[in-house]
Amino acid sequence: MSTLQAPRSTARTRKGAPAWVTAVVGRHPVGMLLSAPYAVFLALVFAWPLGFAVWISFHDYFFAAPGAQVDRPFVGLDNYRTVLADPDVRESMVNVGVFLVINVPLTVVLSLVLATALNGAIRGRTFLRVAYYVPYVTASVALVAVWLFLFSDGGMVNQILGPLAPDPSWLVNSTLAMPVIALFVTWKQLGFFILLYLAALQNVPKELYESAETDGASKLGVFRHVTVPGVRPATLLVVILATITGANLFTEPYLLTNGGGPNGASTSPVLLMYQRGIEQGNPDTASAIGVILVILVLLISLVNRRLLERD
Amino acid sequence: MRTKAMAAALGALALTVAACGGDGGGSGGAEDHGEIKVWLSNNPEEIAWGQAMVKAWNADHPDEKITAQEIPAGQSSEEVIGAAITAGNAPCLVFNTSPAAVPQFQKQGGLVSLGQFDGGTDYVEERSGDVAEQYQSPDGEYYQIPWKANPVMIFYNKDLMKKAGVDPENPPLATYDEFLATSKKIVDSKAAQAAIWPAPTSEFFQSWFDFYPLYAAETGGTQLVEDEKATFDSDEGKAVADFWATMYSEGYAQQEPYNGDSFADGKAAMSIVGPWAIAVYGDSVNWGAVPVPTSQGTPAEETYTFSDAKNIALYSACENQGTAFDVLKFATSEEQDGALLETTGQMPMREDLAGTYPEYFESHPEYAVFADQASRTVEVPNVPNSIEIWQAFRDAYSSSVIFGEESVDDAVGAASDDVTELAGQG
Amino acid sequence: MAVHDVRDVRDAPDVPEEQHHASAAERKRLGVRGVLRYVGLFLGSAVFLFPFYYMIVGSLQRKPDTSVKGAFPTGGFTLDNYTQINSRVDLVQSLVNSGIFTGGVLLGTVVFGVLAGYALARLEFRGQGTLFATMLLVQIIPFQLLIIPIYVMIVRTYGLADSYLGMILPFAINSTAVFIFRQFFRQLPEDLFSAARLDGASELRILWSVALPLVRPALVTAVLLTFIGPWNEFLWPFLVTKDTSMQPLAVSLANYISNVAGRAANPYGAILAGSVVLAAPAVALFIAFQKRFTASDIGSGVKG
Repeated sequence: MSTLQAPRSTARTRKGAPAWVTAVVGRHPVGMLLSAPYAVFLALVFAWPLGFAVWISFHDYFFAAPGAQVDRPFVGLDNYRTVLADPDVRESMVNVGVFLVINVPLTVVLSLVLATALNGAIRGRTFLRVAYYVPYVTASVALVAVWLFLFSDGGMVNQILGPLAPDPSWLVNSTLAMPVIALFVTWKQLGFFILLYLAALQNVPKELYESAETDGASKLGVFRHVTVPGVRPATLLVVILATITGANLFTEPYLLTNGGGPNGASTSPVLLMYQRGIEQGNPDTASAIGVILVILVLLISLVNRRLLERD
Repeated sequence: MRTKAMAAALGALALTVAACGGDGGGSGGAEDHGEIKVWLSNNPEEIAWGQAMVKAWNADHPDEKITAQEIPAGQSSEEVIGAAITAGNAPCLVFNTSPAAVPQFQKQGGLVSLGQFDGGTDYVEERSGDVAEQYQSPDGEYYQIPWKANPVMIFYNKDLMKKAGVDPENPPLATYDEFLATSKKIVDSKAAQAAIWPAPTSEFFQSWFDFYPLYAAETGGTQLVEDEKATFDSDEGKAVADFWATMYSEGYAQQEPYNGDSFADGKAAMSIVGPWAIAVYGDSVNWGAVPVPTSQGTPAEETYTFSDAKNIALYSACENQGTAFDVLKFATSEEQDGALLETTGQMPMREDLAGTYPEYFESHPEYAVFADQASRTVEVPNVPNSIEIWQAFRDAYSSSVIFGEESVDDAVGAASDDVTELAGQG
Repeated sequence: MAVHDVRDVRDAPDVPEEQHHASAAERKRLGVRGVLRYVGLFLGSAVFLFPFYYMIVGSLQRKPDTSVKGAFPTGGFTLDNYTQINSRVDLVQSLVNSGIFTGGVLLGTVVFGVLAGYALARLEFRGQGTLFATMLLVQIIPFQLLIIPIYVMIVRTYGLADSYLGMILPFAINSTAVFIFRQFFRQLPEDLFSAARLDGASELRILWSVALPLVRPALVTAVLLTFIGPWNEFLWPFLVTKDTSMQPLAVSLANYISNVAGRAANPYGAILAGSVVLAAPAVALFIAFQKRFTASDIGSGVKG
């Protein structure tokens, strides 16, 4: 990919380093120095822990106090076998699938429509922007509290619905819990995605709109034939980012449905990882879940890219 | 690009796979004295007691000061303590160590055996008497001192009973049939939203406040696991599970967790609580207490229940373990136990409680029923994988009893197999 | 990772502000469609803001009222719920802790992130490709997978439990911000750099006097985006700090919400008041800086 190539600099370093030096350290070795802190940071808090996590997933690992002598034998694929045979793990994968099927399309459609509408709006722009971005900047912990009251059994949503209120109520209903979470996350994250689309809209050439309008295309037609294809690259980005955020779902089921309730119907793989690893003291199987999840996310991103780029 | 990312990740792995392992911790010895840290449970009554205790100690020991704080947040104290053990920043004493977590903490190397201190074992056994035995670990050592128990009973709201047309002084709650009939009256009369509202969530410890007390009563004092085998795949176990399943399916108990205290708010007419509830609900609720129900209505003086004990353990991360042990003895002395009883209403686990504090029980006759119940309690089994066992049980209970997604018999049978397997893993 | 895949949209220089595709005529008079657009937008914003309104109203009520009428109370307001939090949580200390935690992350990101972003965008050196690929990979790995090893490392190996450094370290350089910085620097015309290099300026000097002034507005956006992370982060500081006097606001309020509020006189109100206290600083800061928080800045990230 061309992004990976360094900028094609026409300038030469003044002292004209010998070719072999350039071949070994690159044209600007000072770059290694500048990026060294970041490289060390990545090695320390990303590469090392990732390697350690993979190592843990192949061992019978548990937490021990510093200095305690404990035995942690290599167990090969045992942890993976345990995890794959565990119905809870499979349920959590299905749950997050349900989440993605609702959240991703909803996010894409809503953020694109709202961004298009906002783009043309001049009056009250400041207010509208604040309104749509504010959930994004607010901590989940705070927002979850309000949703809890809105969607609880005697909460306002059910009071409005009256006899139409679902039974059991939203957050303890095994079919509805996950959609409510998906809705919550869509609402919370939408501001960011609107921002991305607003940026992308600036890049759709104005002439395209003008010529479409001269051709007498309807507003909807313009939207379908100019805007949507014009922001396709942004759509790819939104889809992939939304998928990644979704795959890392944790805080919402942890707080909104009391740790993945009812009865595991809203458990996400990351929550399960947290419960198994930290709460129940089985970091080995937890790491195995994590490794499987990362592989799945990589695959999904790949498929997304293939699908959306083919055109 | 993708292959490049993969390659980067693999390279990172290759570099780091070998790097792991622990280091020597700097834990202290049994003779070291100095400042220590302790954690207290986070209810206001226990904090009040704890702060008074710390103040009394600090006044006499200026060189060995205690710093006390509440246990940090978390869905359960156990996950927080477990993480602190791993980190090596656990405090010296935790005045809220669940017996169910002791096997795991011990396996982590996080606890100090009290036998390492001069007269430690004797102190535990003399203070608590025969009860102490339940808290001995399989290796014969004490890694916890049995501190206080909260034998649970059914608390009911007399005003709501009256509203529901039930005799408030003598509500029929002894057998399952009576309990269900009374619950029906409460809910049908709209006296309260729920007859009783145990937390329907899946934390491992929630079964201690719905299934386990009734199971203890029904079986006359059987633990969940005995001789490395699950005991609950039996007629008694299924009877208890079926009873609760009916409570949920009829809507007498709620499937949604209540934010707050359903009993205090009058949303539930009954609650499964320990003697702490007297201090908490005291005058705000017009309450009465009866033993937990059994299928046949076992007489009150023969009914067993869950002890809900909380103990004190000494953690290996502690540097001044000598001081820690002295504080442990100080905090469980006759004087401090009396203060605990007075402030929190919880029952110190010492022999002959009523005989040691006669004035207290004279002036608080309402505690007599709990003191009597305290002699017939069942503890959680002290076996390996204890928390996982309770979690496996809770998961099965949740899907079958609370949410009715599978049959109770199937769930109980499957959970029994899982639990037996976990208990046997040593 | 595919953030860069959208790179080739256009290589035009940064668009200063959002353009409006509405034609000039339409801008003058609002057509039926224009009215519809505004009705839709304002209705949508009402839906978006309602939970915030509900949060504030609930936090001021003496008794919880979940009926529809309860959302529009006319009286019975009280600050009790707030005083109750204040009596159990040291709000000032928590705010200071949050500030130090967030400030540390911002400092690390701005200093080291800008350096790395510049090197990745404008220099050619050994290991550049690997570094870039790793930066992208970071974004798809769930933090919860790394949390166990990081926890062991920070707390055990380095003994940084209950310290600000331990809190800051895993977040010290925000990879998304590095990515955004890189995109900014890439958009600057190459001539600027070659000219400066010909004059014999060092790379640090070029970065400081040529590149940085040109991307300064964009920096603010990246800083705001970075701010949100540590300010709202719950799980990590919760694990690292066991000492209540070290806990940031999100952790002490989550603790209050989950453990203490249940015993308060009005648990609903207490929880909502806690939420308001947590949300307020971030929202206030955002409103203060919202003008700077423009689409075009993020846009450079999209354009690549």
